[in-house]
Amino acid sequence: MQLFRIDPLTKKRLQRFRRIKRGYYSFLILVILFTLSLFSEFIANDRALAVKYDGKLYFPTLKFYPMATFGQQDEYGFDDVEANYLGLKTELRELRAEFKQRMESFSGTEAELIAAEPKFARKDGWVLMPMVPFDPYEPDFSYDVPPPNAPDGRHWFGTDGQGRDVFARLLYGFRISMVFALLLVVLGQTVGTIIGSLQGYIAGRFDLYGQRFIEIWGTLPFLYVVIIISAFFIINMWKLIIIFAIFQWIRITYYMRTEMYREKTREYCLAARSYGASSWRIMFRHLLPNCLTPLVTFTPFFIVGAIGSLTALDYLGFGLPAPTPSWGELIDQALQSDNRDKVWLSIAPFGAISITLVLVTFVGESVREAFDPKQFARYK
Amino acid sequence: MLKKLPMAGRLLVASCLIAGGFVVGCSSEKKPEATKDSVESSEADSSEEAAEVAPVHQKVPKGSTGIVVDPASIEWETNEDAPMIGNPDAPQGGTWHDWMGSYPLTFRLQGPDSNDAFAGWNRSFTMDFALVRLHPVTDEFIPCLATHWKVMEDNQTIYYKLDPDARWSDGEKITAQDFEFCYDMMLSPHIVDPFYNTHFDEYYSAVEAVDDYTLRIVGKRESWRPLYDYGLWPMPKHIFEGKLDENWVRNFNLQFQVAAGPYVIKETENGQRVVFERIRPWWGDEKRYFKGLYNVDKIDLMVVLDSDRALDHFKKGELSHFRVTTAKTWAQDMEFESIQKGWVHKKRVFIDYPQGLYGFAMNLQKPIFQNKDFRKAVQYGFDFDEINKNLMFNAYFRAVSAFEGTEYENPNLKPYGFDPAKVREHLAAAGYKTRGKDGIFQKDDGSRAAFTLMYGQPGLERHFTVVKQKYAGLGIEVQLQQLEPGTAFQRGLEREYEMTIMSRTTNLFPSPHQYFASEYIKTTNNNNIWAFGTPRTDELIDVYRFDMDKQKRIDAMWELDSIIQDEAFYAPFWQAPFVRLLFWDYVVWPDGFFPRRFEQITDWQVMAIDTEKEKALAEAMKAGKALARDEIVDVDRWGVKAAMVQAGGN
Repeated sequence: MQLFRIDPLTKKRLQRFRRIKRGYYSFLILVILFTLSLFSEFIANDRALAVKYDGKLYFPTLKFYPMATFGQQDEYGFDDVEANYLGLKTELRELRAEFKQRMESFSGTEAELIAAEPKFARKDGWVLMPMVPFDPYEPDFSYDVPPPNAPDGRHWFGTDGQGRDVFARLLYGFRISMVFALLLVVLGQTVGTIIGSLQGYIAGRFDLYGQRFIEIWGTLPFLYVVIIISAFFIINMWKLIIIFAIFQWIRITYYMRTEMYREKTREYCLAARSYGASSWRIMFRHLLPNCLTPLVTFTPFFIVGAIGSLTALDYLGFGLPAPTPSWGELIDQALQSDNRDKVWLSIAPFGAISITLVLVTFVGESVREAFDPKQFARYK
Repeated sequence: MLKKLPMAGRLLVASCLIAGGFVVGCSSEKKPEATKDSVESSEADSSEEAAEVAPVHQKVPKGSTGIVVDPASIEWETNEDAPMIGNPDAPQGGTWHDWMGSYPLTFRLQGPDSNDAFAGWNRSFTMDFALVRLHPVTDEFIPCLATHWKVMEDNQTIYYKLDPDARWSDGEKITAQDFEFCYDMMLSPHIVDPFYNTHFDEYYSAVEAVDDYTLRIVGKRESWRPLYDYGLWPMPKHIFEGKLDENWVRNFNLQFQVAAGPYVIKETENGQRVVFERIRPWWGDEKRYFKGLYNVDKIDLMVVLDSDRALDHFKKGELSHFRVTTAKTWAQDMEFESIQKGWVHKKRVFIDYPQGLYGFAMNLQKPIFQNKDFRKAVQYGFDFDEINKNLMFNAYFRAVSAFEGTEYENPNLKPYGFDPAKVREHLAAAGYKTRGKDGIFQKDDGSRAAFTLMYGQPGLERHFTVVKQKYAGLGIEVQLQQLEPGTAFQRGLEREYEMTIMSRTTNLFPSPHQYFASEYIKTTNNNNIWAFGTPRTDELIDVYRFDMDKQKRIDAMWELDSIIQDEAFYAPFWQAPFVRLLFWDYVVWPDGFFPRRFEQITDWQVMAIDTEKEKALAEAMKAGKALARDEIVDVDRWGVKAAMVQAGGN
């Protein structure tokens, strides 16, 4: 697209950004973590990555297989509920051990033993579990003491108040936070940029009334509005993004408006106008690329804000509905008086939030520095 | 109970989190009134929303004057045969230290701000001394300020003979005029207390002093519990007369109240503590039902912000006793040094306690819950034992009845247990026969076995997520919707929900009419939040409300109870019919600790402090010497635990 054609100046800025190591590496780490988190189902899940059973291969990560598929039954005799892969793994391991044991006292060959007892035919099956064999929803009540249980080899980051794996919840929570923040910022910045640009370009009465409206709109207590709205709807991520976006676009309009005011008086703008270019074309083809600096430099900080807000709302219990994995909800658990001695509940989410926000902030600072025309100025 | 993390504080934490990038105008002064309930209050105390409005008196025959007789001709009734409540040999004296969550805003007992925890204390020294009392073990009426009474044939007029020994704490006599004055005062707009205004207007027709020690009370309507409905307490006429005007609320805000009971406020330390002192001699000292009660000389209440801190104060020896309110503390924190050395004892005292309604409510006006089989499937899918074991340290007992803990509960009911096979069976009967791709059962027309659970108690979220997972495995989808508590409560009353949490307190007498009468189905904003009611249940409720024969009332309520269970729209949660106590060795209790009805006679009334043992304990602690450790934790004098174990609890 023409708009994002890399002009020499942008290229220079990007190079400058790459040279700022702190920001650049933060950016790389964030990208890698985010990409990984998109595949959370393959990292932390109670469904196996792959199963070989009775000679057939299954990939259950994204598909529901009933217990019947693997010859399992639950304690109530039902076999149409979801298969238990960890159980299957143990089962197969025990089967192999049993086979080995039987072979020692068996005179014939392996094939003969299998022919004698057909259940051993399944001994070559295997189950490949993800790195963390727990999903973020299913409670694990296998400990003697009620949850939360401290970190151990089974649950690296411990379990939360409902016996759910804290690592899995952090991971899925990270994905939700990032997707939420990115979508929100894209939506909010787009709307804000368009409105701010129009205000700056059209000016006059539109700007005057628009600005008053924004001032009024901006004073609405955002958290309360969300709490009120959540009384009427069952909130999901899309609704929450839209509700947030209704308030999110405001900030950037101020900057885009002033940028436009300045740029539209420049000669190239007059030139374009004298060629007969339409207002739309002038605004978005000629002026906008020259006004990008505030947009680009503010965006990372808005991402920080969006993650913070979502966490805050979840913490208050008015964000994404339970049991969505969420950092805010974990913090809420950690701060409950019953859990004040369960440090892993607070360290994990606070650590995750701090690291993420610090990384994004590093990126933001570096972008600002890279886009700063005053190369050698120092901000104090 | 007293522990609340105010929403304002939570918002503060929240706004710190937002402070990163953009803060869209969030005024910090505004505090939503909602508070996040502490977990244990939702776990154990089945009551955040007090909604005991008991509209017994809707069809009031106005202007009823009752029966007038010559007091001399009355055959008075009294009751001097019931067992004594306290231990007459209890040691006297000592100071008892307890805590409260906040310093009182007022010492008044009526009007604004007079409903905090402290007011509860204050009230029990004055208003608990009414005309008659219910015996906390036998439920019979026993004398208090009245020595004798007589209920007239209309079951609406009562004559009381007052105890001439009774004195206010300032030495003035308590006379019939004080009761008359109480009636006038409670109806006065100057006390700024709509609750009392309405209550007295709805209940009383007349309160008249026949002479100084004879009182005549006429209720608004016939009642089968006239002494309960038309009991009354006195207000000190000599103090308030002529001062009950628009300035009353302000003038008496910080005045210590004159009490009919044995304790008066002695000293206060603003924001820190309130100390009550025993009146000695007190007019009631030699009365049969007061003997062995009110044994300590001083009650020292100090302000402690939350119960975690209060426990620390207790461990330091600054509090005489401590009620443990969370299952976790009871299960995990009860092996500290003082307990091991026998300086502190722990007891779980079982009491017979009306539990109120507390459980899942299904809205019978929503299509999905109109099918009884589906409701039963939901009942059989609720795995109480799993929650109790894994989230609540097996501390609680399953409630079964809608009238749990009262004599009207049907003891033959067994809870719906967790039973996946029955869930399948009832789902199939309701038409949900095939599992969809997501594992949720659906009907042939594609409608899914899914509903929304709306709730306002954040403390219950962890229970509900486990419940949700369990239902998902069974093929039923539960969507959770947490609302601000007030909103959730209101939407429950308006029946704008599919499933919600019913949570109501009760007193000794359940009030089934407001919860189950079909006359409320047509309208909303009432306590019949499930929209239940059939001609048969209406009949049964009317038997309970109007029949004078107790056995008939009990039979009717038992039948109603089993109909409610069979209709399966109410899935009761759990009950905590016990008090978990920690106390220092010098605290002495009567046999079995509390009378059966704990809410009438509580800790401070029955306990005593043995000053000899107090000294011995201090010496033992100084020397680090262990005392005999009392290993028995459960005290079940009234057979409450035994009955529950038999009914299938844990």
